Amino acid sequence: MSFLTPLYLLGALGLAIPIILHLLHDRPKNKQAFSSLMFLDKTKPPVDRKRRPTHLLLLLLRCLALLLLAFVFARPFVTVDDPADATRRDRQWIVVLLDRSASMQRGDLWQQAKAGVQTAIGQLGTGDRFSLIAFDDSTEPLAEIASWLGQASGAEVNARLERLAKPGFGGSNLGQALVFAGEAIQEDEPGPDEPPLARRSIIVISDLQKGSRLGDVQGYEWPTGIHVTLKQIGEDDQGNAGIEQVASRAPWAAAEAVPSFRISNSANGIGDELEFSAHTVTGETLSQKVHVPPGRSRVIELPGDWAAQPLEHLAIRGDAAEFDNQFHYAQNRKQAVRIVYIGDDKPNDPEGSLFYLASAFQQSSAIDFQIEAMSGNSTGPLPEGDLFVIGDAVGDALANALGRAIEGGATALMIVQSPGQAANLTQWLGADGVGIRDIESSDYALLQSLKLDDPVLSVFRDARFSDFTNLHFWKHRELQNLPDGGIDVLARFDSGAPAWLSARRGEGRLLVMTSGWTPADSQLALSTKFIPLLYSILQPVLERKTQSRQFVVGSRIDVTRFNNGQAGGGITVTPPGDGAAAVSADTVFTPTVPGLYTAKGAGWSETFAVNLTPAESSTEPIGMEQFQKLGLPMSASATALVTAVSAKKTEAHRREYWQWALAAMLLFVTLETVLAAKGSRPAEPVMT
Amino acid sequence: MKIRSLSLRARAVVEGFMSGLHRSPRTGFSTEFTEYRQYSPGDDVRFLDWKVMARTDREFIKKFEDETNLRCTFMVDFSKSMEFGGDDAGVKKSDYARTFAASLAWFLTQQRDAVGLATFDRDVREFIPPRYRRDQLKTILGRLETQPAGNATDLCQALEKLASLVGKRGMIVLVSDFLSPLDELSRCLNLFTAAGHDVRAVQVQHPREVDFNFGDAAIFEDMESGQNLILDPGMARESYQQKYNAHNAALDAIFSEQGIPAFRVTTTEPLERVLQRFLEERPTRAVVRQRRSNGRSAT
Repeated sequence: MSFLTPLYLLGALGLAIPIILHLLHDRPKNKQAFSSLMFLDKTKPPVDRKRRPTHLLLLLLRCLALLLLAFVFARPFVTVDDPADATRRDRQWIVVLLDRSASMQRGDLWQQAKAGVQTAIGQLGTGDRFSLIAFDDSTEPLAEIASWLGQASGAEVNARLERLAKPGFGGSNLGQALVFAGEAIQEDEPGPDEPPLARRSIIVISDLQKGSRLGDVQGYEWPTGIHVTLKQIGEDDQGNAGIEQVASRAPWAAAEAVPSFRISNSANGIGDELEFSAHTVTGETLSQKVHVPPGRSRVIELPGDWAAQPLEHLAIRGDAAEFDNQFHYAQNRKQAVRIVYIGDDKPNDPEGSLFYLASAFQQSSAIDFQIEAMSGNSTGPLPEGDLFVIGDAVGDALANALGRAIEGGATALMIVQSPGQAANLTQWLGADGVGIRDIESSDYALLQSLKLDDPVLSVFRDARFSDFTNLHFWKHRELQNLPDGGIDVLARFDSGAPAWLSARRGEGRLLVMTSGWTPADSQLALSTKFIPLLYSILQPVLERKTQSRQFVVGSRIDVTRFNNGQAGGGITVTPPGDGAAAVSADTVFTPTVPGLYTAKGAGWSETFAVNLTPAESSTEPIGMEQFQKLGLPMSASATALVTAVSAKKTEAHRREYWQWALAAMLLFVTLETVLAAKGSRPAEPVMT
Repeated sequence: MKIRSLSLRARAVVEGFMSGLHRSPRTGFSTEFTEYRQYSPGDDVRFLDWKVMARTDREFIKKFEDETNLRCTFMVDFSKSMEFGGDDAGVKKSDYARTFAASLAWFLTQQRDAVGLATFDRDVREFIPPRYRRDQLKTILGRLETQPAGNATDLCQALEKLASLVGKRGMIVLVSDFLSPLDELSRCLNLFTAAGHDVRAVQVQHPREVDFNFGDAAIFEDMESGQNLILDPGMARESYQQKYNAHNAALDAIFSEQGIPAFRVTTTEPLERVLQRFLEERPTRAVVRQRRSNGRSAT
């Protein structure tokens, strides 16, 4: 028998009331005078022997009435057994989620996990359903037994499990796996001749490390009747230290792009003295001590003398777990970015544009800015460039070459400084008769209507940087007869005239400034906006040239990025390890083990590094309360759900039971009333 | 106790006892008979019986009752605890005690002994000095007829008071239930025994006090103090009897120490038999010695 609202059974404690009242009632009323009480002690409350039977009956009736009242409120019900269902009633579906992420490589966790699977198998009975799902970043069903057949099925599952010799190197996405299992159970529709499932359980066998991702579970509506059991294996009592590369700062923010690494030590780490070492290609080992107190992390830059050497991997030593101590490192090559300035400015002339342009692009360890200046009237061929800055009128031949370059994907920045540039503008914009007029004004102009969501100006989107009111323009030009379409006005002067324009031409784009950055034109070159603006214009080029070659296991790597997005006749990737066979990758490659990979194409070769997901280093266990917050149907709630489902099934019977109990209670109350009335009636006088 | 009048009751008891006495082979009562004695020189001529001398021409000394007879003072407990009883289990202790005292007084008066009465509860309530007078018995019976009105019993205090009231040596018959603390009793009884009194104790007890045979649980009320106690007699019996017997044993020890003959009687016991037991008891050594030294009490 079960109860829908079992808390009401506490009302049965009210039984104490009639019992106490009866005890009080048993206090004798008759008095007995006695010569002296000097030989008498106080004894326990005596019982009135004569009245006991009557009182006992009353007490019994009162207690029964109270008991039944509590019983009625508790809503008792009995699951009525259908003989036909008797054999199938307890059929269950156990879904085992087996963690095979990198953190499971610690100690004997994997053996424990496998033993956990065996334990789960031990709970199965004939006819039960069983699913074994392995998860790390991804989720992979390993075995699916629709109807458990005892040893035969056990052997099948074990064979599949044996194939999974050891855990992988992936991260841990527990949330995704839980949702996967939940959806699998929810979407399952039993066949017409398949017995129904009384119980659905998900058993998670994992180290439940803090680095597990649980985001997918948040907000997930769990289907009713699922019971999730978390079997945590392994006690992380010695902590772990991890290493990861820190994302580099904005290219203009640091003169030297020195790679930085964050070394973190878990709160329960065994020590605070770690050894940070680098292994060069030549087999040399460089090391230094790093002091990282438990529970803290520390960012250290790669020492200069280390960076100068060809490094293969970095490592930390001194913590308990080894699996994440190596960090494979692919050094970025110094990329050349060529900027062509077309104009007659002298490089050292502070009144010209070139001077400030060259000053803006400083050399760094990652990028080699090559700035080339040429005259607009030059008849020579247009040199290759990633950015063309046009500060003067350009001759026809050069204009045509530039037009083609822009169509082909180049970025050109045109500074309108004289009406003579109108012909170039007309040609490149593909418009008719674009005119340029100098605006003579004694007052300066300001920028307004900035289009901050455009990629060029998005760097200023933050409210801290979007104030352009300190930027004064002394002189600017007005463009006339601009075409209606194909041109984005990024900013206007307060007079309404376009200040900065962007036009996409073919694969490339043309940016036009109607006022330059020379001191004669404006304060732009001297303002804090200048360098971010130029880097923002150059951003697509920089992204292509300075892209990271650090990846994590399981990530999808677009290998064409190493060749400017061109597949170019097939790319092969050579995994780490001696004698590893090259794998052909068309565009995307997904590494499964950490190490240094080599991508090769026609005439080019790039090395990239693959490491463990940094989160795997956080091996501290997740607090159980977090799972509760996420609404995981764990023990108690699962029981309630099962009860609710059962209650629904037996609603008709339940109603009958509480009604019968109510009727019985009323009967007892009536009997009690009659008996009590009879007992309290005074005895009739005997007539003599 | 079918006879309501105490005097009639006492008479019936004594007559029954006397009729049985003739059949009794035992003699040698402790009380002495009144007699005439021949005058011898040195006797006080005031006590010459002139009538006998005139008739017989011989000198006889008339022996006065106060000299020759027993002086007996009854000390009867009139406390409330003596009121217990009167139900189907037996007569009231007070009725029994008063009848006993009255019967013995009647008997002694018949022997021309001087009889006195003291009633007490916490203190001495009434005291009639022992005398041999015609109306003495009537007075005593009249006093005994009154209902006890006392509350607590304080034997010791009453005995101390009586010790100062009872002057000449004699017999003291202490009739009580002795239901009071016994701490000082020995010392107080010593006041009498040391003064040469022949003290005899009669402890009256009701059968219910002995067996504590009550049926249902009830609120037991102390007749003296009025205190209440809810009790299940079945549960309390064993402990009660243990303490009651211990009390009696202590009492016996005190009497034995003081050389006092003690009679423990229950109200169901026939009074004649009690009277006989009482009178058969030999006087204590102290009294015998005192009488012998008197020289005029030989029988």
